[in-house]
Amino acid sequence: MADIKIEIDGQIVNAKAGETLIAVTDREGISVPRFCYHKKLSTSASCRMCLVDIEGVPKPQTSCSTPVSDGMKIYTQNEKAKASQKAVMEFLLINHPLDCPICDQGGECELQDVAVEYGSDVSRFSEGKRVVAASDIGPLIQTDMTRCIHCTRCVRFGSEIAGMMEMGGTGRGEDLKIEPFLTQGITSELSGNMIDVCPVGALTSKPFRYELRSWQMASVDSIARHDLTGSNIYAQTYKGQVKRVVSGDNEAVNETWISDRDRFSYEGLSHKNRLLAPQIKVAGQWKEVEWDVALDFAVKGLNKHVLNNRKAHQLGGLASNTATTEEFYLMQKLLRELGCENLDYRLNVNNLEQAIVLASNIKLEALESVDYAMVIGSNLRLEQPMINHRLRKAQLAGAEICALNVKEFDYNLKISHTTVAPQEIATLLAGVLKSVLEKKAVELPEYLEHISSSELSIELAEKLLNAENSVIVLGEHIVNNAQAASIAQLVTDIAEQVTGSTLNVSMTSNSLGAQYAHFVPTSAGMNANEMLQADMRAFLLLDVYPEYDFHHASSAIEALSKEDVFVVSLNSFNNDLTAEYADVILPMAAMYETSGSHVNINNDIQSFKAVVQAPEEAKPAWKILKVLADLLELPGFHYENSSQISSELAHQPHEHSHDSAIDLTSKDDTVETIWMHSAYHTDVLLRHTAALGASQIGQTHLASMNVATAEALALKSGDVYLGVPIDITDTVADQCVFVSSNQATIGGL
Amino acid sequence: MISDNAKKQIDDWIAKYPQGRQSSAVMEALKIVQAENANQLSHDSIQAVADYLNMPGIAAAEVATFYENYNHQPVGKHIIRFCHNISCMLNGSDDLIAHLETKLGVKTGEVTKDGLISVKKVECLGACVGAPMFQIGDQYYENLTTDKIDDIVDGLK
Repeated sequence: MADIKIEIDGQIVNAKAGETLIAVTDREGISVPRFCYHKKLSTSASCRMCLVDIEGVPKPQTSCSTPVSDGMKIYTQNEKAKASQKAVMEFLLINHPLDCPICDQGGECELQDVAVEYGSDVSRFSEGKRVVAASDIGPLIQTDMTRCIHCTRCVRFGSEIAGMMEMGGTGRGEDLKIEPFLTQGITSELSGNMIDVCPVGALTSKPFRYELRSWQMASVDSIARHDLTGSNIYAQTYKGQVKRVVSGDNEAVNETWISDRDRFSYEGLSHKNRLLAPQIKVAGQWKEVEWDVALDFAVKGLNKHVLNNRKAHQLGGLASNTATTEEFYLMQKLLRELGCENLDYRLNVNNLEQAIVLASNIKLEALESVDYAMVIGSNLRLEQPMINHRLRKAQLAGAEICALNVKEFDYNLKISHTTVAPQEIATLLAGVLKSVLEKKAVELPEYLEHISSSELSIELAEKLLNAENSVIVLGEHIVNNAQAASIAQLVTDIAEQVTGSTLNVSMTSNSLGAQYAHFVPTSAGMNANEMLQADMRAFLLLDVYPEYDFHHASSAIEALSKEDVFVVSLNSFNNDLTAEYADVILPMAAMYETSGSHVNINNDIQSFKAVVQAPEEAKPAWKILKVLADLLELPGFHYENSSQISSELAHQPHEHSHDSAIDLTSKDDTVETIWMHSAYHTDVLLRHTAALGASQIGQTHLASMNVATAEALALKSGDVYLGVPIDITDTVADQCVFVSSNQATIGGL
Repeated sequence: MISDNAKKQIDDWIAKYPQGRQSSAVMEALKIVQAENANQLSHDSIQAVADYLNMPGIAAAEVATFYENYNHQPVGKHIIRFCHNISCMLNGSDDLIAHLETKLGVKTGEVTKDGLISVKKVECLGACVGAPMFQIGDQYYENLTTDKIDDIVDGLK
């Protein structure tokens, strides 16, 4: 676009031809009132509030829909502009109720703010105001549609960003109503953003209803840690409690949107199940004690069981993937100083010999410009909402997206689904690689010679070769594939051959932080699964809830519950099972209550401060680990704050990924079960968030399989499989069951 | 939900639009489905039309609720579509509507007990020159008076 000069209120400013006028005034800091305009949404020009006077144009024009041209002279403040804006304001206020004192938006309301400047003191409208009955659209968003000014931001957000048009304007004229059509309410995983875009109090946060005024809260920037994006957020606090979370702006990460998971999880912080005091088990009885007593008990126990008799190799450290990078680092440093190499965070992996090693080499922003994406084994929309959002933007710009999944998931973008049984993914990808190599006339490695390329694999190979900028996304459902490591290696090889990128979303939360902090066993140590089988004498656990976190949940519980195994467990929430196997339970800070950092898919190390203090006796885990190390008389733990840990960590050398051997032989005819927690049950804080749990996504508890599989398992409609109600559908591949559950894995696998 | 016959008619309309723009046929599709369902559109039939045209249910509902010709409540065999916009109103449509309601024993939006006639207030039908006016089927009746209304209504079978 050509550079031009325009004049706004007598001031000459630079602009690009064709830009909208409001984009220019916003950049220049010239205030123009608006309700329907939003920089990330299409223009509707329906509220008329941004009228300005343009020289030579007889009538005032909406600046959100007027492209600028060279030499244009605009007046935003002259009599004509002001008079038009005031007139529009008067119209908007005709039907708007004067219920600001009981409206949650009061104090942060765009209508209220603009009315102060442009509104009149007295209304000339003496007729009755329109009233619209509120509709229940789910547990997350409260509606008060009488307050709606029909800006349609929520409607456009739904169809343009969330990719599912759920809200719409029904009726006409005075009877126009913004409402959802479907009776189940709003189901988008990004729905909370409608609250942020609503300029009035028509859509407000339901969990936050009638809690506080915006000016009573302190707003602190933070990082959400429920997925690989690390969305930038503002946590708003009052008297030491997080009261609300709203989205922050960061174009490179989450633009201006956040997922509902990141927005509403704070609710779990005040759950009655929080662990509030250190406890020790004496003669089978739990006793609440002071911190020094509990820590002393832990140190004595560790000394007695492992350290005094040089049994550090019988000590194991296990951590949840939600820990901060600093916590991972400190825990591994503590264990390694004790001479223990047994540590792991990959608790949900069936076979760690087959652990996925795959580097991500494309940034979130760059995802928007791919022209071909292949998603393997992921329900990306629910598992990594912001990554899915970027791919959706790519698709809208013309990219082709294909999914190789065990089930046809509901995507909010145009995607070509191919259901592939888990047992066949490796062979299919080997076929793709073979076809790529053949087309490039490259010599085939031996293991590919006997592979026959299926039609599908030839087609995929062609698409990948024709694409200029492709990406292969490897997702969570592959983690427990019997050939996971081979699949990851094949993805690496294919991407290299077609000069495409790879994106590894197979491990979520702060898993990348764990790798960055060396929280993985070396060859000298045992991995999580080996620890469960070995003769261990003590465990150190960081926010672990075995019934949810482990793939081998029952072996984990068995291993931890063995007689004479001393378990020190740091937890943020109470848990009956922890009480059974642990000997010391130390209450730790949850998300928002600790400082540290999160490593996201861009490999950005995003640090955050503690937004509030942990409740009662709970302490940030890095502090607990530091004091534990001091009491164990280990050197080098003189940290005063978590950023000292981060800077020490930044100086550590980091390993690079290695090649795995590809093995295509193992293949059997048994039915494979892929067990995933519902997107709102992936970590302990989410599992304590009532509003998310009550939403449609949080209620998901289904084992999907096709007719043939159901027959093979002798199941019929209405039965349960591993305790989960079954859903017989032809959208699932052969020989597999896809479970999405909001309950513990135990009883399942 | 949508009969084969209706589908065939809808397909004819879809064919008139560029490929991938099948949702452009939504108005006709709603009309066709309405005609087959006692001149009425239910929530489910709107959703069925939306599904058939591969568009969000709410987008079809926006259209179905915007235009007066789609009925969301039971209607009679004959629908008297009474204009109540400015020209007709200035020429006494309010009183005439009241007269009609008394005569039929129903309010606007309701159906007579025998299911023969329903009355609907509609926006301007573009016949201001003959205000006050109403429409029954494809026929306009203009320069209405109470006597004229009685004659017309008594003639409906």
